Amino acid sequence: MKGRLDKYTNTPTTGHEWDGIEELDTPVPWGFRLALKLAILIAATQWVLYPAWPYVVSYTSGMTGYSSRAAVAAAVKDGRSLRDQAFAVFVTPDLEELASKPGIREKFEPVIGALYRDNCSACHGRDLKGQANFPNLTDDHWLWSGELDEIEYTLQVGINSNHEDTRYAEMPAFGRDEILLKPEITDVVEYVLSISGQEHDLSAADRGAEIFAENCSGCHNDGGAGGYAFGAPSLIDSEWIYGGDRKAILATLNNGRAGIMPAWSERLNAAEIRMLTLYVQWAGSDDQGD
Amino acid sequence: MSAKHQKLERHGVAFATMILIVASLGGLFEIAPLFTIENTIEEVEGMRPYTPLELAGRDIYVREGCYACHSQMIRTLRSDVDRYGHFSLAAESMYGHPHQWGSKRTGPDLARIGGKYTDVWQVAHLENPRGVVPGSVMPGYAFLANTRLGTTHLAGALRALRRAGVPYTDIQIEYAERHAIWQADKEAEYEDSLVDAYGTNVNVRDFDGDPQRLTEMDALVAYLQVLGTLANLDDLVLEDIAR
Repeated sequence: MKGRLDKYTNTPTTGHEWDGIEELDTPVPWGFRLALKLAILIAATQWVLYPAWPYVVSYTSGMTGYSSRAAVAAAVKDGRSLRDQAFAVFVTPDLEELASKPGIREKFEPVIGALYRDNCSACHGRDLKGQANFPNLTDDHWLWSGELDEIEYTLQVGINSNHEDTRYAEMPAFGRDEILLKPEITDVVEYVLSISGQEHDLSAADRGAEIFAENCSGCHNDGGAGGYAFGAPSLIDSEWIYGGDRKAILATLNNGRAGIMPAWSERLNAAEIRMLTLYVQWAGSDDQGD
Repeated sequence: MSAKHQKLERHGVAFATMILIVASLGGLFEIAPLFTIENTIEEVEGMRPYTPLELAGRDIYVREGCYACHSQMIRTLRSDVDRYGHFSLAAESMYGHPHQWGSKRTGPDLARIGGKYTDVWQVAHLENPRGVVPGSVMPGYAFLANTRLGTTHLAGALRALRRAGVPYTDIQIEYAERHAIWQADKEAEYEDSLVDAYGTNVNVRDFDGDPQRLTEMDALVAYLQVLGTLANLDDLVLEDIAR
């Protein structure tokens, strides 16, 4: 169906006709046609340069040998070497000396903050003050000592983690596993309340002291002062990980506790772990209380 | 307009057929070859099918629509790799039917969340997200800890997945229900049976903090804790997986 020439515009029509209405067959503007041809040209060039056409068992790999995975691996490597340079100061055998270097805190604390918030704050809180089940890092109460190299070691291997050298500490389930009888447990609860300076039943606490000496002091030390050797917390202060009231202590004695700190040596490199170690110490040194 | 095209336009069936052929070209070139191209799925040590408990957790993950806000796909971008770890491999989701790659991140990517946080944290966070992450917009899933995990369907689920190509063995299918119960058993008396069936890389413990009951929380946390931990990425050679 060939269209006729429209007499007013001197343009051919498409030849279609709807109740006397006809359509001009105006060509697509040259700019659009050029853009289309350019796009086709670019696509054809990409086919040659980059991986493109599949065939049964493989695909054309392109002249540039481009691989998105190789590209990202290279970009990540570049980023790492930049960070290695920027944080080279943290790769030193002497952690104490590093901690006392002037200006290091001012320079690096904000950067380490990002690392902390990504990896640590979920449990220990953005302010490092911990939350239920997860210890406060700013106070002076430690399970495995607050020495820098001990903090660093905890970060590396974790506590009760799946790292082969993990620190290990488990409070047995004295109630559930029937190590102690029910009345013995309630007596020990009263004793723990007494040594932590809380309201308690005097005679029960007296009985509890004996049971404590036989069953608990091995890890928690005489009088419940705690000990770094077994990662057992002090029971004579006012800091608690799982709560320090009668109900919480009873739950701990009944069901035991074995808090887990993941090992970070596989997710973070040595410098990053060292940075976080200092970050924890800095936050602790700000805490004026205890 | 060519005369041939005009003829085609006037034959409904012929025209519809031509549209179908043209529209399927995209799939023909972009999807179909993936089934025959040899390096679509990388060869990686360590990948195994999900244990029945992990699978039950995965079903809960899908049921609750976690994929709507969490992706499981670390893209080949430096920002992704820096934040979440090694980019995801096709092999890591080869036993996922359907895969949970996702395309939306209201929450963070979960492809390598396994082991990053403890079970206690995962449970606390699922029960009350804002309790541990101030400002989080994630809904709470406290009911999971109070919902007993249904296990009777697991053997059937494994059988169905075997039909879809997941290499579950007869033993794994036969023991599906027991394996699910044993994996969340703190006393771990049957650990050997799980290890025999699924290898040493199986977390056997009570996941939800309530050793008395097997709950949906056990299953979901078991699933989360295995994400991204199976493939042995240390032995990968970039040249082998470069695409």
